[in-house]
Amino acid sequence: MTCPSCGAAVAEADAFCESCGTELPAAATDRATLTPATRPEVAQSAAERSARTQLITLRAEPDELPAPPCKSCGGAVGDDGWCTVCGARASNGREHVTEAPTPTVAAVSDKGRIHPRNEDAFAIATKDGWIALVVCDGVTTATDSDAAAYAAAQAARNLLAATDRPAGSADDRQQHWCLQVKAAALAADEAAEATASKGDANPPSCTFVVAIADGDVIVAASVGDSRAYWLPDEGPAEQLTVDDSWATEQIKAGVSREEAEADPKAHAITRWLGIDSPDVDPSTVTSTAKGPGWLLVCSDGLWNYCSDAAELRDLVNAQPAEPLARAEALVDWANQQGGHDNITVTLARIGDTG
Amino acid sequence: MADWTAQVFQNEYLPDGATDVHAIVTVTSQGTGQAGENGGAAEAIIIDCSGSMGAPRSKIIAARQAAAAAIDEIADGTWFAVIAGVGLAQAVYPQTGMVQASERTRAVASAAVSQLSPQGGTAIGQWLLTGFEAFRAAPAAQRHAILLTDGKNEGESAQQLQSAIDTVTGEFQCDCRGVGADWDVNELRGIADALLGTVELIADPADMAADFQAMMQTAMGRGIADAKLKVWAPQGAELLFVRQVAPTVADLTDRRVNVTPLITEYPTGAWGDESRDYHVAVRVPPKTLGAEQLVARVQIEVGGQVVTQGLVKALWSDQTELTTRINPAVAHYTGQVELAQVIQEGLAAKAEGDTDTATFKLGRAAQLAAETGNEDATQKLKKVVDIEDPVTGTVRLKRDVAKLDEMALDTASTKTTRVRPSA
Repeated sequence: MTCPSCGAAVAEADAFCESCGTELPAAATDRATLTPATRPEVAQSAAERSARTQLITLRAEPDELPAPPCKSCGGAVGDDGWCTVCGARASNGREHVTEAPTPTVAAVSDKGRIHPRNEDAFAIATKDGWIALVVCDGVTTATDSDAAAYAAAQAARNLLAATDRPAGSADDRQQHWCLQVKAAALAADEAAEATASKGDANPPSCTFVVAIADGDVIVAASVGDSRAYWLPDEGPAEQLTVDDSWATEQIKAGVSREEAEADPKAHAITRWLGIDSPDVDPSTVTSTAKGPGWLLVCSDGLWNYCSDAAELRDLVNAQPAEPLARAEALVDWANQQGGHDNITVTLARIGDTG
Repeated sequence: MADWTAQVFQNEYLPDGATDVHAIVTVTSQGTGQAGENGGAAEAIIIDCSGSMGAPRSKIIAARQAAAAAIDEIADGTWFAVIAGVGLAQAVYPQTGMVQASERTRAVASAAVSQLSPQGGTAIGQWLLTGFEAFRAAPAAQRHAILLTDGKNEGESAQQLQSAIDTVTGEFQCDCRGVGADWDVNELRGIADALLGTVELIADPADMAADFQAMMQTAMGRGIADAKLKVWAPQGAELLFVRQVAPTVADLTDRRVNVTPLITEYPTGAWGDESRDYHVAVRVPPKTLGAEQLVARVQIEVGGQVVTQGLVKALWSDQTELTTRINPAVAHYTGQVELAQVIQEGLAAKAEGDTDTATFKLGRAAQLAAETGNEDATQKLKKVVDIEDPVTGTVRLKRDVAKLDEMALDTASTKTTRVRPSA
């Protein structure tokens, strides 16, 4: 099976292409009209396979497939996702997830060294002329936030992929994306809310950040403390999004960045997605790519070790050039700093000519 | 179809090396329907008719009225019987077994209870066994009794009473009521605890009819005949205790039935539309920082089906701002359980003339009642002690305390107030 839009390999069960986000024809009979001879052969990278496995695992209903035995003791895993013998949590299949849909775009999400599982999620849409990077970070102190983060990222990506963006001026496109990122945040919130179960005292919740590069138009939006950076090769590096966090509020109130971010409460977020969220209207930011550079969207598992945009650009530029290798290297670096949180790095190389 | 939920309140973050996990699980049932909808219901009304019920005469008159008020609330089709507690219990209506409630049978039963007269002694064990016999004659799965007494169990030995309690435990539920000041709170509490019922003091016989009416209404509103609490703990874990902490305190630990080496089960009796809180404590071997473990599944099972489940977890962390938090629900109920204990111990010491211990225990009770906002307990304590400083728990025993006030404090000691933690 291949995507009719970009030609990437897709699974029979997929509703959307994982590479470009195009909605796939629902009926299997439609797909059957493509004879094997007419399918362009697309090599499937290990990264794509890994991302695909992740999707399939998460989409399977518990009663459709027997859960694999507990990784810790070999006991049976209950429908609630925990071992019925030793109480270990079943793997969500996301300890280390990578994706590189095009040669200029890559994403890596990693469990880190301390957290028992990865509750971050990313989703990427790439189309002719534009790209969207989405990262959601599940709130660890809430229940099943990994499911919320995954659902939210997927929903935002799918909404953006389905939009008809005007081919007009930069202003038109900027206006379009500013509206779409707000819609994407609402769709992400709806998806996160749908993962809550009845009577949950601490329902699943997650952050949300999206960055879109459409030609030289850059639009970013966030709820919570996951971030988007624009790191041009020349000119000032920018942190596009503003955290909804305790630390940011302190900085606004005049406390120094170092002092605020060193506080144990620094990461307490003041806004999030989920059923108990008071407000999910994202703060929207725009910028212009005046030259080539890296669009980086990441969770706090990375930026907590390197928050300043200029320093972060130096760090990014010190890594291997190829996007996936670069993203992997940034994740390795964060793990070397302690890996205290889940780490998600999504990178897109923007504005190179030729 | 009843709707069940289980909410877990806990701090799952444990510091390095910690082993004990505490959680409050709030179980709520809604839409349970009416008693007897699944397999029929049966009610027994057991009225103390010992000689003392005639002194003052207002007691037996109030008891007749209360029994009639309860009979009025029995829904059509429910099996029932009225039993008079004398030296040996006597069927009042029907002559043997039980009848199904209808306008006619309720009228006949009411006429029969209006003839109840005080005679004979108090042998509560015999009464329970007679009640059991009546229940066995009725084809009903849900069995509930109301037992009224005004005195101590003097017509039989303590062993006889205990043996009767053991025989009927698990066979029917029993709400116990003591009228006047001559019954034994501990004795009746023992019966009510074993038979999954409540115990209350009725100080004024005039209040009895309203209480009986309310009790029967509650019983008729319990559409779930029998629910079991099931607790799973992982291999290598030790289940420290399982307690009901609201609406009343009851240690369930000794009532456990081992289902598998990892699962224990506790009877909880019939449920209406209500909410009960359980405190579960589990000890697990410590894990490395960052590790996570499920330490208990707390489930409600009805008719062999798990209808709701709460998950209790542990997550070892080096973040002290997370690990040092005390969950407000756990703290609240830990205080309430200690409150019940010190009230009972304080009153027992006072009865034995151990003034120092009584002062100390009741002082601690005053402190805990203030800390946990149990206003009812504070009011009842004030009738037994002068509270000089609730913060430090400094109290003085009052000189002339009415026996009824002490009994009221004792009886209500297991009633807890609720907290609703903000999240």
